Amino acid sequence: MTPKAQVMGQNEEKVIDTTRQAVPFNTGNIPGPKMARAVMPAVPGKMLAKAKRPLLIVGSEIDDPDVLARVVMLGKTGIQIASVGDSYKYLGDKGLDAHYMNMHALMSYICDPQWPGLDGKGGYDLVVFFGITYYYASQAISALKNFSKIKVISIDKYYHPNADMSFGNLKKDVFIEALDEVIEQLPK
Amino acid sequence: MTLKKGSFVIEELENVQINIGKIGAKEEQIAEGPTPRPEIIGLRNWDYRILDRYNPVYTPTGDTCDYCTYGKCDLTGNKEGACGIDLEGQSARQALMTSIMGAACHSAHGRHLLNYLIKKYGEDFKIDVGPSNLQAPLTETIMGIQPKTIGDFIPVLEYVEEQLTQLIAITNTGQEGSSRDFESKALHAGMLDLLGMEVADIIQISCLGFPKSDEKAPMAEIGMGILDPKKPVVICVGHNIAAPAYILDNMDKNGLFDKIEIAGLCCTAHDMTRYNKTAKIIGSMSKELKYIRSGIPDVLVTDEQCVRADILKEAQKLHIPVIATNEKITYGLPDRSNDSVDEIIDDLVSQKQSGAVLLDFEKIGELVPKLAMKMGAIRKAKGLTALPNDNEFKKLVAKCTKCLQCTKDCPQGLPISDAMTAAVNGDFSLFETLHDKCVGCGRCDYSCPAGIPILNVIEKASQRVIREEKGKMRIGRGQIGDPEIREEGRNLVLGTTPGVLAFVGCGNYPDGTKDVYDIVEEMIQRSYIIISSGCAAMDIGMFKDKEGKTLYERYPGRFVKGNLLNTGSCVSNAHIAATTIKVASIFAGRKTKGNWEEIADYVMNRVGAVGIAWGAYSQKAFAIGTGCNRLGIPVVVGPHGTKYRRAFIGKPYKKDDWNVLDGRDGSVVNVEPAPEHLMITAETKDEVMPLLAKLCFRPSDNSLGRAIKLTHYIELSEKYLKKLPDDWHIYVRNEADLPVAKREPLMKLLEEKGWKIDWEKKKIIEGPLRKVDVSFQPTNVPRLCKEVKK
Ligand code: SF4
Ligand code: SF4
Ligand code: SF4
Repeated sequence: MTPKAQVMGQNEEKVIDTTRQAVPFNTGNIPGPKMARAVMPAVPGKMLAKAKRPLLIVGSEIDDPDVLARVVMLGKTGIQIASVGDSYKYLGDKGLDAHYMNMHALMSYICDPQWPGLDGKGGYDLVVFFGITYYYASQAISALKNFSKIKVISIDKYYHPNADMSFGNLKKDVFIEALDEVIEQLPK
Repeated sequence: MTLKKGSFVIEELENVQINIGKIGAKEEQIAEGPTPRPEIIGLRNWDYRILDRYNPVYTPTGDTCDYCTYGKCDLTGNKEGACGIDLEGQSARQALMTSIMGAACHSAHGRHLLNYLIKKYGEDFKIDVGPSNLQAPLTETIMGIQPKTIGDFIPVLEYVEEQLTQLIAITNTGQEGSSRDFESKALHAGMLDLLGMEVADIIQISCLGFPKSDEKAPMAEIGMGILDPKKPVVICVGHNIAAPAYILDNMDKNGLFDKIEIAGLCCTAHDMTRYNKTAKIIGSMSKELKYIRSGIPDVLVTDEQCVRADILKEAQKLHIPVIATNEKITYGLPDRSNDSVDEIIDDLVSQKQSGAVLLDFEKIGELVPKLAMKMGAIRKAKGLTALPNDNEFKKLVAKCTKCLQCTKDCPQGLPISDAMTAAVNGDFSLFETLHDKCVGCGRCDYSCPAGIPILNVIEKASQRVIREEKGKMRIGRGQIGDPEIREEGRNLVLGTTPGVLAFVGCGNYPDGTKDVYDIVEEMIQRSYIIISSGCAAMDIGMFKDKEGKTLYERYPGRFVKGNLLNTGSCVSNAHIAATTIKVASIFAGRKTKGNWEEIADYVMNRVGAVGIAWGAYSQKAFAIGTGCNRLGIPVVVGPHGTKYRRAFIGKPYKKDDWNVLDGRDGSVVNVEPAPEHLMITAETKDEVMPLLAKLCFRPSDNSLGRAIKLTHYIELSEKYLKKLPDDWHIYVRNEADLPVAKREPLMKLLEEKGWKIDWEKKKIIEGPLRKVDVSFQPTNVPRLCKEVKK
């Protein structure tokens, strides 16, 4: 069964809209005039496919098996993963290019043009993230929003105002479907 | 020569200025270092050293500024506002303001106590904190004086107050513009905070008979389930012992401890137990709303700090009178200080008034127990509680439409609707789990479109676990005594005790109070010295092992490895920071008076102490953390700590940031990143444990110490993150630094990294950043080097 079929429980296509409910997941978390553009999954998918050196950041909320499966699929396409929080314990044995990093430190380093990256091969041109404690990710990426030039895309189930682009607030089945649609855009 | 007031500089003694203040029996002005009473930029060079290595990282909660009428200004992307400040500057200004708020809270608390205690005991009342010559380490290091009496603290608080006023002035629009200098000033405010706390706690320990460096202080009962709700119940909320002390005295004198239950919420509780061990503890601020709504309290006594703003509103609904005993929180209540006790009681019992401001301590002492007896009888007869009964509960949980609005409004994002669904089917276990994770903020009550009073529902469903919530906490011991430092200092500086971990701060935990217990249990079994204070100290005592023992019952309270100490309330945090000064002074013979930079430099390079405020929420916690940072102590906060908006994060990949000087000859030595960060967050408890172990590394570790620290760093990372840390090898200087049990496999890994190994001699030939040198004198301060190389 394909992952999509697992979610749907059958082989039919369902059109999902990830731009709905594009209000900060935590009601009071309204940072200012610039808030993320709500996007459909194809947009981050294509941007990831086009990026020269993208970085995927995942955190402690990838403990859900459905979510973890999508992290692994993304990782298998060759994208480098910054595994923040305690998420490395779910990824270490999956044969991915995953590196433990502290989220807060990572934000500081991404803002620094001299940072050699997780593997010493230089900085990144795109940051994509999901599976991180909502408020923690929201705060952390506010550093990137305000003090770096890097593009930041949330493909999490929460609308993240501090990203450049984000999904709206999604129910779990739509979230998993959206991740699958992102993955579909990537070279196998 | 007659010395007059003022200051003079001794020629040839560059940087040494001696200030002469009030000379006489009261204050000995015996500064030994260059910076007694540092002014706002007096320690800026030291701050710059910190900031150049540990760069401020800003994570704004908002991208706009509305501080003045030019605004609102949009600062997104680090744009400048109308006054010329950019978002970095504004974020740094907020860091300064947060530190000032925290420092003001503790110092004003100290001021309130000092005025009261001087009035009661006189200025000449002797300081006595236990077996110590270094009785006031922070005061000595900052002020350059050695206080002997409580009156000697008058100029100390005057200094703090004057400096804080200067700092507040800096936050006005059109003052400071440099984020670096805002941060230097925030560090100054943090240091003032430590000083204000030290004054507050030393004077109360000295005058009020609190335990004095007592490693065997008795246990106090703690938890939401400890009180007998059938008796009249008095609950004191806040931080200031002055008023509760009179209530306890009155109850003692009249033999009322059997008739009335008295307990505290937040740090007042700590100090009540330090004052009278019969008092009990309900818990942290997170328990305030939960406990009030239970309806158990018959009288609420408030003082200052961490008292919820809605206490009166909540209490009114349940006919619980509120006695406000401190000018800082008056809730719009009438000041009844000049009225007779009986008149006030009549008005409160009859509900003519819902509470009273009462600033006369004698009257508070007399009134509260009497009022509790009357209110207890009335309230218990009526069975007043905000919690639904069984029938109401069933109807309420059935109303949930699963709209998830509560989860969106909950600061913890808790899955409330799942618990509602389970409860409909008679399963309360999800609610019981929520009860510990819920910080009791009440935000969800406002959000539910179906009108479900969510917090009350959580609490109703959790009655079984609440009844069992009965823990033990060793009462706050106060300072660490000089003899303990003498015994342990060497182990700490050489690293053979892997580190001191200070669990401090509040209850805004990311995943419940149990985390703190789990982290402490793991680290204490690894022989770290665990010192705690404030709400963290309480929460550590809330859980039991299989034999029904709390951590305080399992581990003794001496300042040696594998012990668990509780210093006391928030203000006793000062003693935790001061312990590092004691190590520098007692173990290493460093001069303290007026010598902040040298002491902080020593602490940063040699004392493996780390603060952890896993549930920090308040401005006070930020100020304490910032003060510790200026003293060279790294601090880790939980994920909510990103909302403090500023961290100090080191960059290990920038080699030059980790150059230190060798004090013997001023030569530059490139060292491992130790400590790697000064203020940072972690997402989960599994992440934080290896991080804590790593932050205990210091350049001064000897090989045995380094091997012990590295063992724990590696083991904790393997246990909780399922990996060998990426950077473990950076901390290896020779083969003796390697954990004994893993020496060979680790040497193989080093060889794979390109290091040269002599396998016959089992020695590392090439690879490490530097060699171990037992006489190495790491310092970041050029003037402390014997001979500075040109
Ligand atoms: S203080 Fe400066 S940035 Fe803030 S509102 Fe005023 S002009 Fe704008
Ligand atoms: S009271 Fe508890 S459940 Fe409600 S919003 Fe606050 S933390 Fe969440
Ligand atoms: S807000 Fe009320 S109705 Fe909506 S999910 Fe929460 S408890 Fe249910």
